Amino acid sequence: MTAVLEVKEVSKVYGAGAGKVVAVDAVTLGLSKGEVLLIMGPSGSGKTTLLSIMGCILRPTSGEVRVAGKMVTTLGEEELPDIRKNHIGFVFQAFNLFPSLTAAENVELVLRLKGYDRKKIKAQALELLDKVGLVKRAGLYPADLSGGEKQRTSFARALAGDPPIILADEPTANLDSRTGREVLTLLRTLAEAAGKAIAIVSHDPKAEELAHRVVFLEDGRLKT
Amino acid sequence: MLWLAFKTLFHEKGRLIITLIGITISTVLALIEVAIYLGMMGNATAVIRHTDADIWIGSKNIQSFDFALPFPEHRINQVRAFSDVQWADKIILTFAFVKLADGRREQVQVIAYNPDTGVGAPWAMLEGRAEDVKGGHYMILDKTSEQRLGRLELGSQWELTFVKEHSFKLVGLSQGIKSFTTIPVMFMSYNQFQPLLADMALANHTAYIVAKLKDPAQAQAVAQALRVALRDNDVFTRDEFVYQTVMYWTVQTGMGMAFFLTAILAVLIGGAIVGQAIFAFTMEHLREYGTLKALGARNSDLYLVIFSQTVISAVIGYALGVAIIFLVRDGIEQAGVDLYVSPILLVVLFFTLLLVCLAAAYVSVRKVRMLDPVTVFKA
Ligand SMILES: Nc1ncnc2c1ncn2[C@@H]1O[C@H](COP(=O)(O)OP(=O)(O)O)[C@@H](O)[C@H]1O
Ligand SMILES: [Mg+2]
Repeated sequence: MTAVLEVKEVSKVYGAGAGKVVAVDAVTLGLSKGEVLLIMGPSGSGKTTLLSIMGCILRPTSGEVRVAGKMVTTLGEEELPDIRKNHIGFVFQAFNLFPSLTAAENVELVLRLKGYDRKKIKAQALELLDKVGLVKRAGLYPADLSGGEKQRTSFARALAGDPPIILADEPTANLDSRTGREVLTLLRTLAEAAGKAIAIVSHDPKAEELAHRVVFLEDGRLKT
Repeated sequence: MLWLAFKTLFHEKGRLIITLIGITISTVLALIEVAIYLGMMGNATAVIRHTDADIWIGSKNIQSFDFALPFPEHRINQVRAFSDVQWADKIILTFAFVKLADGRREQVQVIAYNPDTGVGAPWAMLEGRAEDVKGGHYMILDKTSEQRLGRLELGSQWELTFVKEHSFKLVGLSQGIKSFTTIPVMFMSYNQFQPLLADMALANHTAYIVAKLKDPAQAQAVAQALRVALRDNDVFTRDEFVYQTVMYWTVQTGMGMAFFLTAILAVLIGGAIVGQAIFAFTMEHLREYGTLKALGARNSDLYLVIFSQTVISAVIGYALGVAIIFLVRDGIEQAGVDLYVSPILLVVLFFTLLLVCLAAAYVSVRKVRMLDPVTVFKA
């Protein structure tokens, strides 16, 4: 299997001197098409930092990041937004939906950002919401959606524009355990159906059952 | 991204309304102040601007149109001797008192002109004609002076005190001709009024000589030549005299300046209100901007959102402000205050306000530029 996302010997160091924190320490990891990778580890072990580096949101202090075979660590600041836009869909613990947009519009936003045909995006957004079972709630604002519905909306948003990679940081942390399970199952189903490469950060035990592969982080280091 | 800007702006009606109230109030304030200022300056220079003369010759060291001192009228011959001069005429400007029905006296500004040529004549007549002042102690008052002088009925006799008492008959009403000082303006015939100056030992004097040039483009050069010829007078082109008068009321007396500064202040306050509103708005939506960045939006996309929200707010707030001005305008003018609202003023004020708003929004833009998209992972 070829990795669509690779990090090689990446480290992230915050601060300097006595207050120096090595949040991620020489991690090498690949993420393949159709795979659900679970990243586990105690709080403060560097999971979010690693995921940010994988998502081209954060630059590593050292090491290499490749997305679809392309080296991104040497790219300029103005090129990174396009890498994120074209290759990566994000799912956040706090959902990060736009409160002034309906569920459908939240999905539309990404399609607009990606330059999709304005006439088609409405139908496309509904189609995506249908995949996460939310088409009936499409016209509601996030304030009127339950936690699970919000997270499903954010899945639909992450899938918008069909990015090959989905990165999710603690997607179930703000959900009750039953909803969390549903949401994770949905994520796995979507990954398999669409052949996505998915990395999930979670310490939800249910996630372990659903993942194809689990890695552990401790003090920024990978334990296999 | 314009789409997102609209959606977020109009989703939070409360904040939008507060922003709009801020912009509207400062538009109204700024517009009223500037319009009053321009109205005052318009009145102060009305006679100069409405007289078809390229050159104004007044007494030495004259400060503004309203304060002309008499000088011998025969100097007009020196002016007429210039080959560039098409015609020259005389205008008297002085102050006198009229007796009101109840016996009180009000000060009036007398403008005495040549009714044959109409140079210096009232330019907007409501009743009667400008030439009606010819041949006797006749005069024209402005309709707006009724506030000060009481009912103005054609044919009524008015007692004018200028050293001695003289009776003048009202033969016409002008419309909207006012002095800067709001003292009522009284028009009469040059030939009829001039003999009265003799009582002040100023026989055969005038306050102004005005001249029309064959080629108005030569005004500067002719004015310079006249300055050499008429050493005891001040010589202005029309524009120079307008400028001199405006500067006198604005800078030397500080009266205009007060309005001018208030107007600038209103614009700045408006900008500060919008800036603060947009900034608070940006701060509240920082997480969304971070999400946008993570989703692949460029900084320029985010600037577009912030700036277009600013522009939308500014346009709506300004339009409301202008609408309010037009609604209250009549009422204000009835109270005796002239508002000069021209299309140019509206355009200039809009862009000034917009510029201030955008400058204020720039603070938000900087905040968003510095924003680290990593914040999106914060719970
Ligand atoms: N912006 C930052 N500045 C300084 N230290 C940071 C920053 N972000 C994270 N850290 C530190 O890096 C370590 C890893 O953090 P994080 O990746 O958030 O861990 P996790 O997601 O596993 O809880 C922690 O010790 C945290 O305090
Ligand atoms: Mg974390």
